[in-house]
Formats: sequence, C-alpha cells, structure tokens
Amino acid sequence: MILTERQRDAISELINIAFARTGAALSELTGHRVILNAPEVSVHPTAELPEALAKFIPGEIASIHQVFGGPVAGDALLLLNHDGAVHLTDLLTDGNAPPSSRLDESAREVLTEVGNILLNACLGMFGNLLDVRVSFSVPRLHMETLDELLASLISDGSEPQYALVIYTAFQIRDSSVRGFLVMVLSVASLDRLMHEVEAWEGRQGQS
Amino acid sequence: MTKTSPDEEPLLNVALLRWMNDLAGQGILITDAELTIRAWNRWLEERSGLAASAVLGRNLLEVYSELESRRLDRQYKWVLEGQTRVLSQRLHGHLLPLPTDPNLSGFSEMQQTARISPLIAEDGRVIGTLTVIDDVTERVTREAELQAQVDARTQALAREKAAREEAEEANRLKDEFLATVSHELRTPLTAILGWSNMLLAGNLEGAAHDRALDIIHRNAQSQNQLISDLLDVSRIISGKLRLDLRTVELPAVIEAAVEATRPAAEAKGVRLTTALDPRSGPINGDADRLQQVVWNLLTNAIKFTPEGGEINVRLGSVGTRVEITVRDSGIGIPSEFLPHIFDRFRQADPGTNRVHGGMGLGLSIVRQLVELHGGTVRAESEGKGKGSTFTVSLPFVNFGKGAERAGRLPFDAGGNEEINCPPSLQGLRVLAVDDEADTREMIRAVLEHCKMEVVTAGSVPEALEAIAQSHPDVLISDLGMPGEDGFALIAQVRALPAERGGRIPAAALTAYVRAEDRVKVLRSGFQLHVPKPLEPNELVAVVANLAGRLNH
Repeated sequence: MILTERQRDAISELINIAFARTGAALSELTGHRVILNAPEVSVHPTAELPEALAKFIPGEIASIHQVFGGPVAGDALLLLNHDGAVHLTDLLTDGNAPPSSRLDESAREVLTEVGNILLNACLGMFGNLLDVRVSFSVPRLHMETLDELLASLISDGSEPQYALVIYTAFQIRDSSVRGFLVMVLSVASLDRLMHEVEAWEGRQGQS
Repeated sequence: MTKTSPDEEPLLNVALLRWMNDLAGQGILITDAELTIRAWNRWLEERSGLAASAVLGRNLLEVYSELESRRLDRQYKWVLEGQTRVLSQRLHGHLLPLPTDPNLSGFSEMQQTARISPLIAEDGRVIGTLTVIDDVTERVTREAELQAQVDARTQALAREKAAREEAEEANRLKDEFLATVSHELRTPLTAILGWSNMLLAGNLEGAAHDRALDIIHRNAQSQNQLISDLLDVSRIISGKLRLDLRTVELPAVIEAAVEATRPAAEAKGVRLTTALDPRSGPINGDADRLQQVVWNLLTNAIKFTPEGGEINVRLGSVGTRVEITVRDSGIGIPSEFLPHIFDRFRQADPGTNRVHGGMGLGLSIVRQLVELHGGTVRAESEGKGKGSTFTVSLPFVNFGKGAERAGRLPFDAGGNEEINCPPSLQGLRVLAVDDEADTREMIRAVLEHCKMEVVTAGSVPEALEAIAQSHPDVLISDLGMPGEDGFALIAQVRALPAERGGRIPAAALTAYVRAEDRVKVLRSGFQLHVPKPLEPNELVAVVANLAGRLNH
C-alpha cells in the first residue's frame, strides 16, 4: 500500500505539528533549544521494515515503545541507535559533564521520557485532530538488535501489518541525532487513519 | 486484570489495596479527576511527614503548591486527557519535594522517578490519576560515583599518554642534539685537517700559508669553545658547577664581554653600543660566569643580526634588582618559539640547512648561570624581523643557592672564610633569637663583622621585650625552642600593630627542611625559611634579603 502524494503531505504536516510541540516541550524541560526536523514519511509492509530501517548501522537499537488502542490501534516506537541514544541523553542533560559512553539507568529513564513525550504528541495529535479517541500504554525502553526488535513486532500474523515510518533528527546545540518514529498498524487501522487524515486535510482547505 | 469470581473480587481488591497502602516500596498517590487526593500510602506518609488524614480530600496542587510553579500541573492535565506520563530523575529531579539524608547522598532532596497514569472507567472516561513514585537517590549517587571513577581513569590515561609523548619528544630532541653535536664537532675538524694537510704537503706559500694558519687557529678556538660549553652544561646538570662568589662591579664585566665580541660584530657589519649606569650594583656573584652570560647573549645577538643592524647593551637598576638588557635589531623570535628559547637542545631551525650554526647551548647556559645567581632571564620579540630583547635580572645581593660552595666549613668566628659585607647593611639593627648561647654569639659575631647592630634574645618573652625596647629592623629566629617556640613568637609579633614592629621582616632558622615544613613556616608569618646549619655568607645574604623588604 503506497501513500499518495497528498496523503504523504497531509501526514507530514500533522507530524510536523506534533514535532513542533515535542521540540517545545523538550526545550522547556531541558533549557536547550530542541528542534525536530521535518519528517520523511513512508509506509511499508512490516516485512520490508529491515530495508526501510537500513539507514541505521548494525548494532543495538534503543526503542521506546508504546501500545496504542482505540479505532486506530497498534504499536508506536521511537528508534535510536546506541550512539545516538547516548549522544541525545548527553545533549539533553547536564552540559558540563564529560560525554558518557554508556547508557546507565538514569540515561535510560531520560530516553523513556523523551520517547514518551514524542509518542504522546504524535498519538495525541491523531487523537485530537482526527477526532479519534486513542489510549496509550506505559512506555517501555528496550535495547536490542534490529532483528530482535522486528521479531517482537510481528504479531500473530493473521493480518498483514503495515508500518508508517517517519525518519527525523533531533537538533540540539549544534548537534544532530537521527531517529525513526515507527507506527505498526493493521491494514484496517491504517485505512482508517488515512481516511481520517484526508478528512482533516479537507477541513483545512475549507477554513 | 483477569476476571475473578464475584466472591473473590472484593477480597482481592481489599488485599490489593492493603498491599498498596502498607507494603509497597513506592509512593502511591491516587486522585480523582479534579485532582482531589483519594489515596496516600504509608510510604508517602513516612517520607512526607504528612499523615493520610491530613491530605485526603484536599487538592494535590494545594497540598504541594510548587507543582504549579514548576509547571508539573500540566503533566496531570495530560494524564486526565488519557496519556501516561513518565518523569525521569535527571530531567525533573523529583515530583514531590521530600527530604533525604544529605550526608549520604550529597542531595538535599530525594531524587525520584515518577509515573502518572490515568484511571479509566468501563465507559472510557478518565475518572482519576495514579501516581507511582520511586526513590532513586541511592542509585543516582552510585551512578555519579561510578562515572567519577571512569572520568578519573580517563584523565589518568590521558595524563600518562601526555607524559609518554613528552618523554618521546625529549628523546627525539636529544637525538637531534647528538646529531648536531657530532656535526658541529666535525666541522671545524674538517677545516683543521684539510688546511694542516696542505701545510704539511708544502703546497701553500706566503699569504695563503698565513691564511691557512689563521683558519686552523680559528676553528680550533671554535671547537674549544664548543667543548667548553658542553662541559659547562654537563657540570650544571650534575650540580657540580662552582661559583666563585665575590663582590662584582657589573660595568667592568659587561665591558669585558663587549670588547671580546666587538671584533665579531665589526666583521659582520653590526653596530655594538652600550649604555651602562655605573651606579647599578655591585652585586654578589662570579665575575667570570657573569661575563660568560653577557658574552653568550652578545654572540647570540650578533649571530642573528644581519649586516647593518645594531646591538645595544644596557645596565640599569629596577627597584631592588639590577637589569642587563641586550637588544638587537635582528631576525627576531617567532612567538611560538619564545617559550622554548632557553631550553637545552633547541634551535629554531634544527634542519640540516641550518644557516646560523652553533648548537643552541649558549642560551640554556645563560639561563642556568643566571638562576644560580638567584636571578632570572627573559626574552622578548615582536616577531620575525622585528629584533629581540634579552633581559637578565639579578638581585642586588645573591644567594648562590644550588651551586656547590667552596666547602661547608663549620662556622668559625675567627674568620676562616671571607665574609662579604654589603655596605648597605651597615647600621642595620638585627634581633637574633635562639635558645642556644653559642648560636646567638655566632650570629652576633658575623653580623657585627659587617657593622650591623645586633640584639639577641634566648626566649620568646625576651624577644618580645627586645622588640619593644630596641625596635629592630629585621628578625631572625630559631624555630625549635623549649617552652614557646618560633611559631609562637611570630604569631605574637604579627599580632602587634605595625608601628610596634608587627610587620618586621623575619626569617626562621630551622633544621627541618621538608617542603611541608617550609610551607608551614611561610604560612605562619615568616618571610624566609633558612635551613641550618648556616654559613656566614648565607646569614648575611638572608639579612640582606630581609632588609630589602623594608622598603616595600
């Protein structure tokens, strides 16, 4: 299932708004100016995810995972590679500390919170603007390889699943940390989502 | 939660609630949709000092008003919209302000991680909030300690690496130096061998014959100088250089060096001028070595000043120091080389195409000799082509530290050793404090020999009385005395007002010579720390140093 140009633009715009809110929230929280770059949006069958995420170097991936439910349901994840995760936590926290090389418990908590803020902003965006009620689970952080991650996402396999993949970067203090926002949905959910997005876009045109 | 039978459910719910209240190792706080507190577990009671009865039914934002000022009320707003919020310790510090033991952690408040979730009814409405708070103070403290260890290790590794690189660089410089030494020693030999061969073969006549002898002689002298420099450097390094300390008239010394180098200057077409203030000095020093210093500076200046340039030597006084300045209009010193200019083995152009010859030892010898006289030397230059200025600064009376003396004689008041008495010390009144009569008499004999007035005291009370009655100019005191010691004395002296002698310059005599003793002495109020045993000239030098501080 391929997104039309129009659908892609509409989703991008929605995500942009969510990203702007995330950036603002992180800026206020950390005292550093945080900007999330304009997203590159694409949709892939989950089987093609490895290819879509190939931009990540092999190694461990930090993923902050929230399950969402309602008329549109699925898994939402923020993915960062290990170095990016370390770098991001350094940038967001004490500026005077020397750069760390590992993710300790406190750093993982920060990542979880960052993921939480971002995922809530995006899912909340869908919920509010699309007039769709979304419920969220508690966010969880996992460190695992890409294969392990993908294996955990594939559900019982009864329905084909699609992933909305949004590639972006956090810009903080002259540094850039790349990441992926991934939403794994059933066909029905994706269908419903696109339907609501187009309806929203239609409403924008009329105002 | 899985479905239970209708009979079990109330029991399980009660059991769960009791656990959450009594046994949970976390803070559990439940509010309704208006943020009115509906549950406040024991963990929170114990740590906040607020009993549940004191907070139930009250609004959370009213009980903890700082939540609003810290804008954490918005977190609860989002939760009421259905979100679950995570508050990390590192970004927030804490959710609720609860105390912790600062002695154990370094934090004044409990460090917390918190999670706030919506409580959702069957119909999907959000009917309340559940907050779970974890105390992570200990974990965070441990993480900080671990990180500090990692940092320390990283720094140590970096330091080791730097030290290793420095050692490698030093070795490289030594290798370079040895290569240069070989070359420099060989070069004159080549000329000497070549020309003497031709003389022996009888191939030269008349003017050529004379020229050959001249060349051989010059090269032999040059090599002689080289070897002499090398030996000096070697002696200085091993601490075996002997200074012959006498009263030195600097103008004469400088003139001698100037005259020795004038032929070389003239040969190169460089003008050599002097401006010597005859009132500067005399100083206590080794005349030959001082002449060597000036000679080296002049030779260096001539080497680096092109034809038509000018070199000026100035002698003057600045405060209690004498300054000899050699200024040239030559090629100058690049700023990146300036800090290394007095280093041994260094030259600005060590490559094989060296234009200027020589080995770069002269300036390091200059520095060593000047420092042995208790002085300093510095170089200044505005850069390439802008000339250089070398300034030697010497105290009026030197200490001669570090040089091997003519021999440490046991003190003999009969004068087995020539005592140098600076005329400026005549009439100076000195108070010498020591519990041993022999030592007092020794000090008296030496200083009176130099026409100073000496008052002695054998104890701290006597010393204080002497200060009150005789108003001495300087104080010399033993440290180790029975009863009240030197430290007690100086403390009481420094407590006096200035007009009663509180600021009198003072030196401590002591057999304790460790660095920490020295620091202790200087910190307690003495200006100088002088180790025993003391030689007559050293004693005079110490008094002179103290006297020099009178004018400040």
